[in-house]
This record gives sequence, C-alpha cells and structure tokens, in this order.
Amino acid sequence: MNYVQLEKLGEGTYATVYKGRSRATNEIVALKEIHLDAEEGTPSTAIREISLMKELKHVNIVRLYDVIHTETKLVLIFEYCERDLKKYMDAHGDRGALDPMTVRSFMYQLLRGTAFCHENRVLHRDLKPQNLLINRKGELKLGDFGLARAFGVPVNTFSNEVVTLWYRAPDVLLGSRTYSTSIDVWSCGCIFAEMISGVPLFRGRDNQDQLLHIMRIIGTPDERVIRRIMSESGESQQQPPKQFPRYPKIPFQQVLPKAHPQAIDLLERLLQFDPAKRITPRRRCSTHTSPQARRQYPFLPLALSRLLSLPTPHGHHAAQQQQQQQQQQQQAAQQQAQQHAAQQAQAHAAYLAQAQGMPQYQAPPIPQAQGAPQAMVMPQHQYMTYPQQYAGQR
Amino acid sequence: MRHPGGVFEQIEKTPSREDDIPADLEEDLRAFGCKLIHQAGVLLKQKQVAVATAQILFQRFWYVSSMKQFGIGDVGMGALYLASKLEECSLRMRDLINVYDLLLQRNKHMLDMQNSTVHSPEFRYAPMSYFGNTFYDLKDALVVAEMQILKRLGFSVNVVLPYNTLVNYLRVLGLTGHPDVCTRAWGYLNDALQTPVYALYAVPTIVCAAILFTTRFLGICLPSTPPNCWWELFDADWEDVWSVCGYIMRLYRPRSAEEKSRVLGLVSKKGVRQWLEEHEPVD
Ligand SMILES: Nc1ncnc2c1ncn2[C@@H]1O[C@H](COP(=O)(O)OP(=O)(O)OP(=O)(O)O)[C@@H](O)[C@H]1O
Ligand SMILES: [Mg+2]
Repeated sequence: MNYVQLEKLGEGTYATVYKGRSRATNEIVALKEIHLDAEEGTPSTAIREISLMKELKHVNIVRLYDVIHTETKLVLIFEYCERDLKKYMDAHGDRGALDPMTVRSFMYQLLRGTAFCHENRVLHRDLKPQNLLINRKGELKLGDFGLARAFGVPVNTFSNEVVTLWYRAPDVLLGSRTYSTSIDVWSCGCIFAEMISGVPLFRGRDNQDQLLHIMRIIGTPDERVIRRIMSESGESQQQPPKQFPRYPKIPFQQVLPKAHPQAIDLLERLLQFDPAKRITPRRRCSTHTSPQARRQYPFLPLALSRLLSLPTPHGHHAAQQQQQQQQQQQQAAQQQAQQHAAQQAQAHAAYLAQAQGMPQYQAPPIPQAQGAPQAMVMPQHQYMTYPQQYAGQR
Repeated sequence: MRHPGGVFEQIEKTPSREDDIPADLEEDLRAFGCKLIHQAGVLLKQKQVAVATAQILFQRFWYVSSMKQFGIGDVGMGALYLASKLEECSLRMRDLINVYDLLLQRNKHMLDMQNSTVHSPEFRYAPMSYFGNTFYDLKDALVVAEMQILKRLGFSVNVVLPYNTLVNYLRVLGLTGHPDVCTRAWGYLNDALQTPVYALYAVPTIVCAAILFTTRFLGICLPSTPPNCWWELFDADWEDVWSVCGYIMRLYRPRSAEEKSRVLGLVSKKGVRQWLEEHEPVD
C-alpha cells in the first residue's frame, strides 16, 4: 500500500479509522478500513459512502481521495481532520458549550455542506457531532456518508432506520418513509442547540421516548399534523393514530438562556415539527425535468443570510469570498434556467395550440427501422405494472 | 477507480467486440442476461426498482468488461444483489443463489432438449445441498461478481430510473387521459432495459423514444414539424431518440431457432470461450 498506517483515530460500527501518511508525498490522511465479509459481500454502507462521496467536492465535505480494493478489505483514503465535533466540544468547550463565534462559524459551515449535498441530490441521513470533522484551520466537514442516499422525486420509499436516535426528525420517528431534505435540516437544528448548550437537546431512550422529549420542548403539534405525517408512513393505516400528551411549547430562549435572539430565531426555523415548515434547502432542478418541475426552491434563505448578517466569524475570509463567487455562479445558472423555462413554456403553449387542431388517429404507420413492424407492436413484457397511483393524476 | 462510469457513448468497440464476440451475439447475450435478472426478480418477489437498477448496472458493466472474462449469469446475479442493497431491499444470499441455480438448471434442461433427439421428460428442479460444492461455488461467484461490478464501474452505481419522467412528460403532452398510452409506454421503457440504451443515453431521450413508439402504435398525432416538435419540449435530440428506437426495434427482430438456442449455452464464460474457439475468425 502507498500509505503508512499510523495510530487509530476512531472506530465506528463497521470500520476502523487510522491516521496514515502517504509514502509518496508525506501527506497525512485518514484511512478508513472496512473488512469484506464473505456472508454479505461488500457492505452497503461502504457502497453508499464511496459512490456518493466521490462526486461531492466541497470545502465543507470530507474529501475522498482514493479507494483501495483488495480481496479482504476496502480502504478509503480521506482528507485528514484533527478531530470530530464531539471531541472538539469536549476539549474546547465550557462543559461542552462552544463560544458564540465558534458556534456561528461551525453552524454556517454545517449548513453550507448540507445545502451542497442537497443541491446534488444527496441526503446525508446521519448528521451528528461524531460525524462532523474539524480540521486545524477550524474548517468543519461533513463525514461518514455510510447512510446517505441519492434522492429523486420524493415518491420513493426509503428505509426507516436512519439517523441516530437523538438527531432523528419527528416525522421519521412517526414512521415516515417519504422524508426528504428536511430530515437533515432537523439534525442540523439539534446540533446547533448542542453546540450552544454543550449537551444534546433531545435525549430519548427509544423511538417513543424520543418523540416525547421533542414534544416536551417544542410542544405537541396539532393532531391533524400528526395524522397527516402518519398517513405518509404507509404502515399505520390500520392503527389508530397514537395519542400523545398535550405539551405546551417552551420558548427556546428559556431552554437555551445563553443564546443570541437571532440564533433562537434560526433554531426555531430548523426545529419545526412539521417537515413541510422546516427551512427547505434549494433543490436544483436538472435540465432534464419537465418545465413545471423547473420551479425554484428557496435556498436556506434566512438560515444563511442571518448567519451572514452577524459579525464575520474569525478567519473565514477566504471561505466567504468563495461563497460569494458561488452565489454569483448560482445566480447566473438560475437566470439561465429561468430563461430556458420561459422558452419551454412558450414552446409548450405552441404545442398545445397545434395539438388541439391535430386530426386524431391518422398518424403514419410505425416506420420500419429493422425487422417486421408487426413484431414490435406490443411491448414484450410489462412486468413492471403501471402503478395505479398515477392513473388519476393530471 | 478505473472508469468514470455513467455514459459510455464515446466507446466504439466494447470489450466483448475486442475479444471477437460478434455484435449481434453480444446484443443477444445482454438481453438474455437481463431476462434472467428479471426472472430471478420475479421469483424472489423483489421490488421492481431494484430489478430495473440491476439491469442497468449489468448493461454498464459490458462497456468495461468482456463476456470472455465474465459470464452473463454470474454478473447478472451480482448486479441484482448489488442493486438490492442500493435500493434498500437487500436479498439473502442464499435465496438469490437458489433462484439462480434453478434458472441455470432450467436453462440447461432446455438446451439438452434441443440438442438431443430423445424427448426429455419435463423439467424437474433438483435442489442443491447447502454443504455441497454448487452452493459454495455460486456464493463465491456472487461475491466476486459484486466486487468486480463495483471495481470496474469505479463505484459509479447511481442509476436514474425513467418512470417518473414518463409520467411527467405524458402530463405535459396532455396524454394521461388516454388509457393505453401510459401502460404501453411503460412497457417500452421496460423492454428497453434489455438493451444498452440506459448506459448510453439520458433518460429524457429514452422516454421520448418510448412515447414515439406508443403514439405511432396508437395512431396519435403529435406536432412533429419544426418549429413545434413535441420532443423538443424535453430537450431531446431527434437523432438520439431515433437511435434509441433502433436499439429497441432490434430487440423485437425475429430470431431463428438457432439464434434462440445459441444464447442458452453461453451463460458462462466457459461457454463463450468454447464458442469462440469453434468460431475462430478466418483472416
Ligand atoms: N477524515 C478523518 N479524519 C480524522 N478522523 C476521522 C476521519 N474520519 C473519521 N474519523 C474518526 O473516526 C470516527 C469513525 O468514523 P466514521 O464515522 O466515518 O465511521 P463509521 O464506521 O461510519 O461510524 P458509525 O458508527 O457512525 O457508522 C469518527 O467519529 C472520527 O472520530
Ligand atoms: Mg460515524
């Protein structure tokens, strides 16, 4: 191997992470070793992590440099970071609590990294302090994409076993499988509160207990909200909706007396029980979607601008310049997309006008590309039956 | 990481062609491998998204590997195993191996029937012993196939399925009210899984091809003269749409009895190697 293995940095459920040094360049890296199991083949966590991370290049996401694949193990070579946020808080915090400047800087970087994932259609699904890495320059990077997945239109049903309990969104706790970017936003909110106070905000023992912990602070939501979320879970149709004690909302200012009012305001937007009300990171629509789908989504609008309106966090001038540049690029891309959408809308109108006057059922016969035309009259098998749910939609 | 993966348009000659496997044979073997994946998926009651994803990974694989090096049976099994992990509906190794064993036995039976003049009795599946060699051989082949797919595709295993796009496009075209249109177009998209198009073209192009087939078949007129061509609403290029149609049409080409039985014997790389020896090109 081209790397010398140094001391152990950490251990996760399926991997061991070592410090390493490149023989060629002397660069320090992190080596994540995953043993291949003859009973299961390549672990799906490793598959996800590699396939998604190799595409995600951003200052606030740990860079995956290389993968070494041998018969018995997989070694992922990552950019090295000094420590994870959990250890950072233990070492630098006042009983875990970080000073407001650091909180702001980390929170800003966390939201940027998360927004970048979402723009690239990746859900992290396991944001927590242990999976956020801090390097010597004070840069925060999202790591451990072992539970991440790519998402398309949120009609897919996803696994319900995501996100470590304390950072798990209430909709997921209620069984939702159609969650989207909002589940990462919730975790960001939990981490935000934890950086301010030094202790995890909601510390439940199990699913149900976790929900109660959440409700005791942000209040029990309207029953209709719970019913709607549960109806999206797909499982609980038969079960009557669970009864929850009615807790009043406790103002965050009371829970986190040290927090700046603007921090409270942001927290409020991140920790909404109803996923539809949580701040939505912008979803970039690919040029391949239909004109209607090319709508614009608000881009963490308040979250980032609020953080930016506060005094500049120390030592992030370069990062901010880059941010500005990125914003400009985004604006240009947005403009282009809007122009394109307008053109397509016009074309669509022309299409509809022309289609109205088209004679019905007088099309030319199917051209013969190869082979006899009658051989291709029917698709051979339609095993993937057309789902009924689309039938009534317009 | 060897290959960027995804789109292989730039490749003119596939590795199998480099190994002198004729283009029509490669095409038939790709289709046959996909049929096996599909049959295994049905027997395992696997989610259809996983089966479709497996077929697309399978098609991609043959742009970086030759059928002389890897058998379509093994790679298909590995692709289905991998795709099931990706779609969060993992399969048990043992179940998958059993099903592939059944399919391969049935395959062999059909081949024997065709080769012998004696009429063989009906196909009877002989379940294997878990401690016998067959099980361990297949298990080994499965783990290796999964690893090779990952390695050779450089872990580029993200797949975009076309179904949501189809529903979207039909709505834009105002065709959702027509009962036959959706089912038929959906069927063409599925048939296309047996061709390499998902490894070569963007989803909108493939969806346009399916809509083109459907509307032509049902005799539905859509504006098709410049400047108002319906496919341009989706930024699809006519030439590309047309070549996707070509790939799908070739799937429906009638095959001779010989062509049909040819693939049965070529599920393993051993079979392919033997075939190549018997059909050495004369130059
Ligand atoms: N790039 C890195 N630089 C420094 N330390 C790291 C790096 N990556 C991981 N670590 C350390 O190793 C620990 C485990 O890493 P990671 O979370 O990636 O493993 P995991 O097996 O996926 O863990 P989990 O149990 O959360 O699934 C981290 O919490 C961190 O302390
Ligand atoms: Mg971890």
